[in-house]
Amino acid sequence: MKVKIGFEVHQQIDTKRKMYCNCPTNYQDVPPNTNVCPICTGMPGAKPLPPNERAVEAAIEIALMLGCKIVNNQTIYIQRKHYDYPDLPSGYQRTSLPIARDGELHGVRIREIHLEEDPGQYDPVTGNVDYNRSGVPLVEIVTEPDLKSPEEARKFLRWLTRVLEYTGKVRPEAGGAMRTDVNISLEGGGRVEVKNINSVKGAYKALKYEIIRQRDKLKRGLTVARETRAFLESQMVTVPMRAKEMEEDYRYIPDPDIYPLILDEERVRATQLRMAEPPHLREKRLMERYKISHASAEVIVSERELADLYEAVASEVDPRLAAAWFRTRLKKVLNYMKLKAADIEFTPTQLAGLLRMVKDKRVTPEQGELVLRELARNPADPEELLLKLGLVPLNKSELEAAIARVIEENPKAIEDYRVGKKEAINFLTGKVIELTKGRADPREVTQQLIAKIKQKPSG
Amino acid sequence: MDQGTLEKLVEIRRGDLSAADNVASALELIKKRDKQINSFIELNPNALAEAEAVDLKIKRGEKVGKLAGLTIGVKSNINVTGLRATCASRALENYVSTYDADVIKRVRAEDGIIIGMNNMDEFACGSSGETSAFGPTDNPAAPGHIPGGSSSGGAAAVAARLCDISLGSDTGGSIRNPASHCGIIGFKPTYGLVPRQGLIDLGMSLDQIGTLSADVAGTALLLETIAGKTGNECIMLNVEKVSYSEKLEKHDLKGLRVGVSPKFSDLTDPDIMDIIHRGIEKLQDLGAEIVNVDLPNLERGLSAYYLIVSVEFFSGTRKFDGRKYGKRIEDVCGEEVLRRILRGRYISQKEYRGKFYQRALQIRTLIKRELMAALEKVDVIAGPTVPKLPHKLGSKLTPMEMYAYDYLTVPANLAGICAGVIKAGDVNGIPVGLQIQGRTLGELDVLRVMRALEATE
Repeated sequence: MKVKIGFEVHQQIDTKRKMYCNCPTNYQDVPPNTNVCPICTGMPGAKPLPPNERAVEAAIEIALMLGCKIVNNQTIYIQRKHYDYPDLPSGYQRTSLPIARDGELHGVRIREIHLEEDPGQYDPVTGNVDYNRSGVPLVEIVTEPDLKSPEEARKFLRWLTRVLEYTGKVRPEAGGAMRTDVNISLEGGGRVEVKNINSVKGAYKALKYEIIRQRDKLKRGLTVARETRAFLESQMVTVPMRAKEMEEDYRYIPDPDIYPLILDEERVRATQLRMAEPPHLREKRLMERYKISHASAEVIVSERELADLYEAVASEVDPRLAAAWFRTRLKKVLNYMKLKAADIEFTPTQLAGLLRMVKDKRVTPEQGELVLRELARNPADPEELLLKLGLVPLNKSELEAAIARVIEENPKAIEDYRVGKKEAINFLTGKVIELTKGRADPREVTQQLIAKIKQKPSG
Repeated sequence: MDQGTLEKLVEIRRGDLSAADNVASALELIKKRDKQINSFIELNPNALAEAEAVDLKIKRGEKVGKLAGLTIGVKSNINVTGLRATCASRALENYVSTYDADVIKRVRAEDGIIIGMNNMDEFACGSSGETSAFGPTDNPAAPGHIPGGSSSGGAAAVAARLCDISLGSDTGGSIRNPASHCGIIGFKPTYGLVPRQGLIDLGMSLDQIGTLSADVAGTALLLETIAGKTGNECIMLNVEKVSYSEKLEKHDLKGLRVGVSPKFSDLTDPDIMDIIHRGIEKLQDLGAEIVNVDLPNLERGLSAYYLIVSVEFFSGTRKFDGRKYGKRIEDVCGEEVLRRILRGRYISQKEYRGKFYQRALQIRTLIKRELMAALEKVDVIAGPTVPKLPHKLGSKLTPMEMYAYDYLTVPANLAGICAGVIKAGDVNGIPVGLQIQGRTLGELDVLRVMRALEATE
């Protein structure tokens, strides 16, 4: 059964002050109703200040990153969207007409992008409203219904999150900064919109649930009505919203108290020159320029700072070796130490130095990883770290002596190997590595062991 | 005529009249007369103390502001910290302002004394002063008649000398209409010249705070106090501080071109037009050149105005949802307020937008072009303010009859231009105001014309 899924994603923009007043935006860090003024609480007579320029700038940048065409040199009205809810102090939310249209991210078409303001936060249990969040700027990203499964949808949201993070101008995803509405329709059924989704996981679960629900209805010959449903995160189900909430006519009017936005071409061009390269385009470029695999490029662009580091390192050493390390060992070390790329303190030159040692076979990849771990902990010149860790390279005679000793001491394993238990060689290699305190290269040890065993006549 | 505003200011500055005495006598007069007039809803309990502070400054020889010691009435839709901005409605009867509107800050900075909050038509919805939840206001210049509205209390208070000047608001004539009926000076500035931060909404694209005073000097002083951009709201013209007072000394109008339109006679009662014609003759005597201008669509402004105002008012009143200010507006408001909310709600529906609201905006553009074109030919346009004389308090009018009071005042709001009103004469003792409409930011032209007329008295 064909499935069509589309999103409306609302993402908070990370500005110091609110969209239409000068109140601070750190609503989570302060007691309720402290970041407020007559404007963001909609006191009688309060008028908005001009739209926050930084929020406008961030929205333009996000739109450009998503490949959208900015609505240039035209009046973009800020509209009042009327609805009645306790968290909405004026009874309307301000939302712009599209500031950009017709973008694309990994084959999913972006229909349009708007600038909005967040409402306050209403707690239906206590009946309290906290207006600290009221007026925090949001960007709304509307996609076409181009996604075909919950898995694809989840992947898309992760991509989108990455693009947004690349701008450095949005609030981190954790903490409800990103909220989505999804629409989903199955072939032969009506379009269902699901609201109140606060995470990528929530979107996935809501879609999974909806597909089962809708498919079941269609199979039984029932119709799936066009409706709006709410996602209940605690139970991972969707429920119908009240009829009143669905049939709402928002009675949009241009806000008479705000001049329409006009985004002139010059400004858009300046933003384009200044902004970061979006991750999906960077991924393509890295593959072409450094001749690296898609798998490596994908890992490298997962964080903007990681990609920056890669390009700096790749200018000093073999880019393909660097890519392999970024995808495997560096990623492993960062995960193990729970570090984000932005937290890395060592320099590209230090990492390049380490990779050069690996390339020259001065250290084994395993030793290299040990150095890398130390590098992440206490950044220093890799040569120094090598000494510090006692990883002075083994000379030939030392290695030969160690191998001879292991062969001497493990006749049973040798015998096993000879009769065809090939895994015995791993045991013997391990013994040599142990004996040399990890300084030997396991590949070389295995090779030499095999050669020695073959030379030596069986006992 | 009583003492002029400038003379009073000089007396206060010299110490011949203390600000405290000025306030005290105003309070006394209010006590004596306002039970009958009903022009104030609430008085400022700190007015005397504030006046004493001004007197102290004067005594110490410190510099005082240009409104030092004058009593200022404030329309009840303008926020004054600690006083109730009721909008003369049950919906806001307990709403005590937590902040000063920007115009109030400016008045305080010039040492004006806020004497109290004036009565008005509920949420400025009315042209008679009768829709207030606190009862109608009487017309001191023609007792038993409506004072006009919606700045009814401010106009009546000034006419009865209960305060020196008043701040009003004008969305479709709400300053000029009562100024005409009460025989005083009323001024609606160019849209965007005076900050609206703190003015409670009627029609946001039309609302403008303005002045009501007994003489042109009072208007000029208060207007230059409140005018100029603030950086504290979005929709303002890029105008720094302005000054008018010192530029009103010349009383002839040589070289000034005054436009008149035959449309005015079509829409206005003949008794009123007689007075208006006499006023225009006076302008000619003062040296002005009278020029005919064409305003073919003038009367179409009224219906466009009521559509626009209703949609914006519907939007602006959504915050009175009963959760924050005690009462849901639709549950407690009067019938005219409800009529406008329901009309706005109806015509802003998705399916009717193109039919009503967009059409109204088109007519607005048409009227604006027409007035702008006329004002390229002339410096000001002179004509009547209200087509009819004020009715007797208590008589029943249909909504359309009530709206018809606004034919001649709404065009200036639709176009965003400035306009002033000055008494031109009376019909059987009932004042008739001459309306002078000026260009965008043509305040000085309008004030000069009014001052020249005033000087002939």
